[in-house]
Amino acid sequence: MVIKVKNLVKRYGELIALDHLSFSVREGEIFGLLGPNGSGKTTAINCILSLLKFDKGEIEIFDKPMTPEAYDIKRNIGIVMQNVAVYNELSVYENIDYFCGLYVKDKNLRKELVDEAIEFVDLDDYRKFYPKKLSGGLLRRLNIACGIAHKPELIILDEPTVAVDPQSRNKILEGIKELNRKGATIIYTSHYMEEVEQICSRIMIIDKGRAIATGTKEELKAMITLGEKITVESYDVSEEHLKKLRNLPNIVSVEYKGHLLEIRSSKGKNNLENVLEFIKKENIQFGKIYSELPTLNDVFLEITGKELRD
Amino acid sequence: MFAHIFNYRLKCLLRDKSTIFWTIAFPLILATFFRLAFSNLGSQEVFKVIDIAVVYDLQYQEDQYFRLALDEASTGDSRLFNITVATAEDAQKLLDENLIKGYITVDTQIKLVVKESGLSQNIIKSFIDNYLQTVAAASTILRNNPSNQQEVIKSLADRENYIKEVSGTDAEPKTMLNYFYSLIAMACFYGGFFGMRETTDIQANISTLAARINVAPVHKLKAFLYSLCAALLIHSIEMLALLGFMHYVLKIDFGYRAGFVVLTTIIGSIAGVLMGALISATVKKSEGLKVAAILTISMLGSFLTGMMFQDMKYIVAQNVPVLSYINPINLLTDALYSLYYYDNLSRYFLNMAFLSVFTILATFGTYLILRRRKYASL
Amino acid sequence: MPVYKLCMKITRKNIPNLLIYIIVFLIVSSLMAASAQKSYKEQETFSRVKTNIVFINEEESPLIEGLKAELGKTANFIELPDETEALQDALFFRRVIYILRIPEGFTQKFLNGDYMPLKKTTVPDSYSSAYIDLAINKYLNTARLYIQHTDGITQEELVSHLKENLSKETNVEIPYSEPKADLNYSNYFFNYLAYSLLSILILGMSALMISYNDRDLKRRAGCSPLSDTAANLQFILANLTFAMVSWLIMVIFCLIIDAKNILTLNTFYFIISSFIFAFCGSGMGFFIGSVAKGTEAISAITNVVVLGSCFLSGVFVPAEFLGSTALKIASFTPSYWYVKANNQIAQLTHFDAAYIKPVLSDMAIVFCFGTAFFALSLVVRKNRRYS
Repeated sequence: MVIKVKNLVKRYGELIALDHLSFSVREGEIFGLLGPNGSGKTTAINCILSLLKFDKGEIEIFDKPMTPEAYDIKRNIGIVMQNVAVYNELSVYENIDYFCGLYVKDKNLRKELVDEAIEFVDLDDYRKFYPKKLSGGLLRRLNIACGIAHKPELIILDEPTVAVDPQSRNKILEGIKELNRKGATIIYTSHYMEEVEQICSRIMIIDKGRAIATGTKEELKAMITLGEKITVESYDVSEEHLKKLRNLPNIVSVEYKGHLLEIRSSKGKNNLENVLEFIKKENIQFGKIYSELPTLNDVFLEITGKELRD
Repeated sequence: MFAHIFNYRLKCLLRDKSTIFWTIAFPLILATFFRLAFSNLGSQEVFKVIDIAVVYDLQYQEDQYFRLALDEASTGDSRLFNITVATAEDAQKLLDENLIKGYITVDTQIKLVVKESGLSQNIIKSFIDNYLQTVAAASTILRNNPSNQQEVIKSLADRENYIKEVSGTDAEPKTMLNYFYSLIAMACFYGGFFGMRETTDIQANISTLAARINVAPVHKLKAFLYSLCAALLIHSIEMLALLGFMHYVLKIDFGYRAGFVVLTTIIGSIAGVLMGALISATVKKSEGLKVAAILTISMLGSFLTGMMFQDMKYIVAQNVPVLSYINPINLLTDALYSLYYYDNLSRYFLNMAFLSVFTILATFGTYLILRRRKYASL
Repeated sequence: MPVYKLCMKITRKNIPNLLIYIIVFLIVSSLMAASAQKSYKEQETFSRVKTNIVFINEEESPLIEGLKAELGKTANFIELPDETEALQDALFFRRVIYILRIPEGFTQKFLNGDYMPLKKTTVPDSYSSAYIDLAINKYLNTARLYIQHTDGITQEELVSHLKENLSKETNVEIPYSEPKADLNYSNYFFNYLAYSLLSILILGMSALMISYNDRDLKRRAGCSPLSDTAANLQFILANLTFAMVSWLIMVIFCLIIDAKNILTLNTFYFIISSFIFAFCGSGMGFFIGSVAKGTEAISAITNVVVLGSCFLSGVFVPAEFLGSTALKIASFTPSYWYVKANNQIAQLTHFDAAYIKPVLSDMAIVFCFGTAFFALSLVVRKNRRYS
């Protein structure tokens, strides 16, 4: 186990930020922490890193208890904070070298590592630039380079793509996958389910400081009853139709808002076919019709009763 | 590790334009202004020649001794007065128009007419007083011994200075020195901006940058200490540059205890940096508030020490003496001044002792706050 | 007037910040004005407050007794132990201004016509100590006159002659039926206004300009159908409004503190002079805000410009004490002319055109400075717009 968190509790006065949170991260995986803003992702990370005091629980990293003085553990961790944390007075190269130097003493080795990191985030043209002159996306990349230059075994990325343009975002996500391929274990927090789905091998969904589900995305989706979501664009759906629809097999819920008919069905075969047949039989005029598989948002929705993003 | 953190910290701080401005450029500019403004203070030119008038009446024409005295006081480079001889009406008019400070009528008894009391008016009066008294003395002597009139009149002119100033050293006007000493003290305490950066960059609950360092495999207090060394080095050098500038460019004489002055300035610089560290560690709120706190403390401290207005220092010392001992800027200013002023060093050591206690308390307080490695909230 | 309204809104947001500055400045100005006025009085009135001195005589003689009695006219004697430390402390904290030491053997040498100086240790550069010097020298020089020219005069005779001679005093007349109003407080306060008002105006205005000069905001404004001139005019108007409000607060404060002079014409001229200065300060703020980039730069420029011009033009240190170089440099700043006008106003007893004229011309110079600042800023803004 790279990380083992057991019964972690963190209170801010009355507010319970982490409520008996337990999870573990295995070597070589990309572990996603998915949850809405304020769900406790960053708090959990900060507790793991021993930056925050917590009220209860145990945290082990590399099978050893984590403390502020556990330098041998810290040496093998790389962190990319949610907010960009670099020195404005140091150039791109100097920033990376500075942070790398806190982990790696050997100068020659460090020079190699820094060059690699710069290449990795594709900032070669900006080596001598100061952070103030970098755009948001470039700054994020610098932020990442500072966290990973020392080639840690465990990399923790806390929402590294907030406010980043799509191009940079893809580059960042690809980079994370590559780091993983090269052997790093990764913890990735985000409130973008698409990102998590795209890169994470295992995902934990948290809400209000509680882990509500953990597993691969397939496992997560298998947990819920929803199998398929069918949307029909139509202007002549009557109450009668809705009633009849609800009686079809496998149908979980039917909603008609505006001109969109939304039919959620549980897992099963021929769901779409049944709906199509019904429409044909009732002679309902429709524009478009499409079917979607459940997303992590649907998982979240079904478990918590609310949307992941508001 | 020391070299790594220290070197990068030097780079960081030296490139922080605004801190560099406040800690060195601003004091240098201010010192230049002081020098320009006070270049006259304490020198002979302090007293400007006073414009007066004498009413041209019969008695004036007859009183040759008074005319002689006036002539003497109104000729030469170090003269006291510019004298206009005028009629009574014209003299009054000159006074009304503020063109003269006062006029003298000889009449049967010498009289001074002025508009208000003031420094210049007092000087005119002292001059006439002196004349009247000397005349009285001379006539008493001549009454008893009328034969040697010529000799008496001759010896009237040569006046002896019977007073000799004794004090430690006496090279430069001292009032001006106090302004410069408080400026040095202020500059030392502007070092607080460096201290502020140091704590901000090491406390994870204040900046993300600090959080990043906290998760690195480096002992937090050691990292702080290493980078603090960089701050102290830069600021001490800045303060020495300020001293050097004052001494070699502005030609200010700090007395004969140069070594002590340098030492004191460096200790002051350390005190200033650590005070800033403490303030910044205590004030958890915004950076603006920290800056305001450091500025207020050093500006208010300098004001109470007499940087803008010399007498403030004595008003404080006489009315609220405690304030003189808890105002670190005053302690530092006084320490520097007592080096110049006192023959023995006990007052200096007293001030330095207070300042050191202050610095140690600041260090200890900062340590207590920084020692925390895990925070209740970030 | 959209720009004007926006400016007012931004400024209103800044009020708590500015209020702190205004209060601090008011307290500091009145403290400085009050204490400056006090020490001024002590130094300069004919009926001077007696100075505290220490009189240490290492020998007793009638001559020295006489000297002490003579000094008693201008000084209080403070008893202190004759220890270097104690004496220096007393001077350091200004419990005494002057320490006079009569060395042993002085009387004999003096009577023989030999020179032997008295020793003094003083607080540097104080007027009071100069007066003590004067009194001592006068006494001893006069005594020497007697000794040189009266053979066989006894100490007792000498002392009694001196006592009589030195009691002569000039007759001083202040012929004005209505004594000149005591305007020292207002004079100092209005002079310090050059510092406090300037600081507040530049701070407030540049804060405003910074938020307004934000690049995107400026571009958006640039695209609006509002002409540049109109926008700038509204801007200036907003600056002036702010200046006038700050000015009003400070002037009212002074009037309340120095209420006894409220109806004098001098106060009226003080108000006019400070009003024009507020206009000029507003122009400076506008200019600095137009030239400087960023808050940091502004506070740097503000401090250097304000403190510098105030030091050089006699706001902190009276202009009489300033060197001619300092004054020459200062004459390129509006504060110099403002302080000059104020000092003249404080002296005014007659208000005919002839007496007022120099004051008005100083005010006119301040006004010209203000106009020049506004004009310069407009030029700068015009050139900046397309860069």
